[in-house]
Amino acid sequence: MKLAEPRLSYALLGLSFVLVTVSLLMIFIVVPTEATMGIIQRIFYYHVPVAWVAFLAFFVVFVASIMYLWKRDRKWDTIAAASAELGVVFTTLVLITGSIWAKPIWGVWWTWDARLTTSLVLWLIYVAYLLVRSYIAEEEKAARFAAVVGIIGFIDVPIVFLAIFLWGTQHPSPVIFDGGLAPTMLATLLISLAAITSVYFLLLLRRIAIKNTEIELNNIRQLHD
Amino acid sequence: MENIGYLFAVFAIIWIALFAYVMSLIRRQQQLKKEIELLKDSLGR
Repeated sequence: MKLAEPRLSYALLGLSFVLVTVSLLMIFIVVPTEATMGIIQRIFYYHVPVAWVAFLAFFVVFVASIMYLWKRDRKWDTIAAASAELGVVFTTLVLITGSIWAKPIWGVWWTWDARLTTSLVLWLIYVAYLLVRSYIAEEEKAARFAAVVGIIGFIDVPIVFLAIFLWGTQHPSPVIFDGGLAPTMLATLLISLAAITSVYFLLLLRRIAIKNTEIELNNIRQLHD
Repeated sequence: MENIGYLFAVFAIIWIALFAYVMSLIRRQQQLKKEIELLKDSLGR
């Protein structure tokens, strides 16, 4: 698969290294401390990008699942499976970092707030997606079932995003769209966003490469048997 | 500097988790390489 070419992986590795270094320098040295929350607000510069990448990963699952059901081409199933795994990793990090941020600000590790609850549901949906893949032995059937879960499960992504507007919630609304961020803060957020997105694509390529090798190995085994 | 522990916990958890994920990918890749070698041997190269 062209996507898994090593040259692209190396380019993404270099880009991720530069962007992550710059983002950490911006977060810990350049950006001013926020007036209300103090130093803890700096979690924002990774919490938001990690959430954005989780949404992106599930969007990739959604598109790849539709493409798989339409074309029945295995490469789409490989992309969906790889992205779902990464989506679960990033959603886990969103839930953990959000919880650590909540403790000093809200005084609790967890509350059944609409944004938090819908995020937890999102995590459970894609854990179920991964379980569907691992428990169904027949590969074609597993891919088909997983694609259905990947498409239906994506409904929760806009619900998570809109939860703060639809229901009364403790979670703050996005400050990016209403101009509530100082230029340095916005630049730091955008660089962190680029850094985490680059890391996602790097990991996605490597995961796809591994999945392709597994498929090839199984094909050789079947021929051998 | 209040809450600095929480701040460092967040950044440490993110990078440790991503590092652990990368390590799991490397382990899977090494396992596959081994299996390919075994298969090559059983096919008599």
